[in-house]
Amino acid sequence: MIIEAHDLRKTFVAKQGRGKKEKVEAVRGIDLEVEAGEVFAVLGPNGAGKTTTVRMLATFTAPTSGTAYVAGYNVAKEPAKVREKIGYVSQAGGIDEIAPGIESLLLAARLSGMSRKQAQARADELLAAFSLTEIANRPAKTLSGGQKRRFAIAVGLVTAPPLIFLDEPTTGLDPQNRANLWDEVRKLREQGTSVLLTTHYLDEADALCDRLVIVDQGKIVAAGTPEGLKKEIAGDVVTLRVEGTEAARDLLAAQPYISEVHAEDDVLRAYLDDGEHGLPRMLRTLEEHSLSIQSISLDRATLDDVFLKHTGRSLRDAA
Amino acid sequence: MMVRHTMLFLGYELRTLLRNPVWPLFGIMQPVLYLLFFAPLLRSTVPGGKMTDVLAMFTPGSMMMIALFGSMFAGFGLINETRNGVLERLAVSQAWRPAIIIGRLLKDVIVLILQAILVIGIAALMGLRIGLPEMILVLLLMAATGLFAASLSYGLALTLRDENGMSQVVQFFAMPLTLIAGLFLPVSLGPEWLQTIAKFNPLYYAVEAGRSLFRGDLSAGTIPVAFALFVVLTALTLTWSVRSLRTLAG
Repeated sequence: MIIEAHDLRKTFVAKQGRGKKEKVEAVRGIDLEVEAGEVFAVLGPNGAGKTTTVRMLATFTAPTSGTAYVAGYNVAKEPAKVREKIGYVSQAGGIDEIAPGIESLLLAARLSGMSRKQAQARADELLAAFSLTEIANRPAKTLSGGQKRRFAIAVGLVTAPPLIFLDEPTTGLDPQNRANLWDEVRKLREQGTSVLLTTHYLDEADALCDRLVIVDQGKIVAAGTPEGLKKEIAGDVVTLRVEGTEAARDLLAAQPYISEVHAEDDVLRAYLDDGEHGLPRMLRTLEEHSLSIQSISLDRATLDDVFLKHTGRSLRDAA
Repeated sequence: MMVRHTMLFLGYELRTLLRNPVWPLFGIMQPVLYLLFFAPLLRSTVPGGKMTDVLAMFTPGSMMMIALFGSMFAGFGLINETRNGVLERLAVSQAWRPAIIIGRLLKDVIVLILQAILVIGIAALMGLRIGLPEMILVLLLMAATGLFAASLSYGLALTLRDENGMSQVVQFFAMPLTLIAGLFLPVSLGPEWLQTIAKFNPLYYAVEAGRSLFRGDLSAGTIPVAFALFVVLTALTLTWSVRSLRTLAG
């Protein structure tokens, strides 16, 4: 187990002006178990407590209560030991804008104890691996978002740590750069590096991780593999708009082949295991009751449906 | 590890500086302009009106000006690094944390001493005469003042984390401190109440000690007082700024 966290909590005291103080419970009891070699995702909307959780595990923020062991060391009591074992790439990246990217890389390498020669060799290796060699000497502020992000991850990997934290690694990247970054994460898994990443993109968690937790308002609402979580709610989802939403919901919920119906504003989402055969039956039933359909679509259930089931909101709205 | 990491951060900062070596030159424009255009006006305040005496009185003030003003703004760069993730990354790296600040401080002091040597050089061209031991002591005194002002600035930067707030606070403190220190004209020319307030301003001792050194008076009491004050103040502000690093995470 490379990460073992039990009942992690973090409460911030936020100033509200004029001496007023408000307690903000950012993380309200999170348990995590991440196996060595896994790509583990923490999925949730903005403000769910993802970043605070990662910061506690990476020894940046001290937990208010709870315990966490990273690579076998207690994050609160042995932070120095933990820091030897991890790479941490924050949401902001942490690349010095004024200096060329290679400077950040070399400094990080030297700080970890490498000699000048070793640092240069390791930097060259990482520059090549992330296709950064040609832009290594350009001031970081002249680089694109994707290039900067690659530098940030290279810096995080400079000590070849067994575990790397990636906080929202693809936020703000265009689809091409996102796809490239996903490939980098997959390469890390092949090399045996454990990855804990946070994201608010459903498809990212779905495509990349071995296991995930879904967090909302500082708590875990669901945990498992992407497949397992989706299976829990039925395989397909029919999204439809009908005149007379209420009546349609009651009618559909009563159908034996439909496992669950959610109404959100005037949109109905009906979950069923066999959409291809269920859809015609639904159409017939609605027709028989003279409920006229405005639009209808059939999709595979996604992690958003998992989120919806557990929180009653769509992740797209929450984020 | 402590020394190694400090040197690594110092080296990093110096390389950044060398990529853009013109900025510190702007920093010395102010004292140089004062020397050229303001010092000649002061001839009537010095008995005999000799330029050599004017320079001995005025140069220490203009040097303290760079030590104070230059260094008080040192923290501005750090505010950005509280947001762009650089400090966040360093805080969870294996770096010895005080080295993050001390490395920068040493860079600031090196720049300051180079600037001071330039200013003394210009004053010398204008007729200032100063012995080598006195000059070394003056530079050390400036270094001590600069260390204090810069570590105060880093502490402020890490505490306020706001460029606007920071520039207001720095202006708020810098102006009265320089006026009450007698930076341009010795406070001994002023009324008694001014001289009394000045005794509570650490900068006053630095300026007075500087004047004594420029006069070649190594036995002046203000010299040890100034050094002791700034060593203690630097230790305090440095501790504060390193502690402020810890509060970054909230």
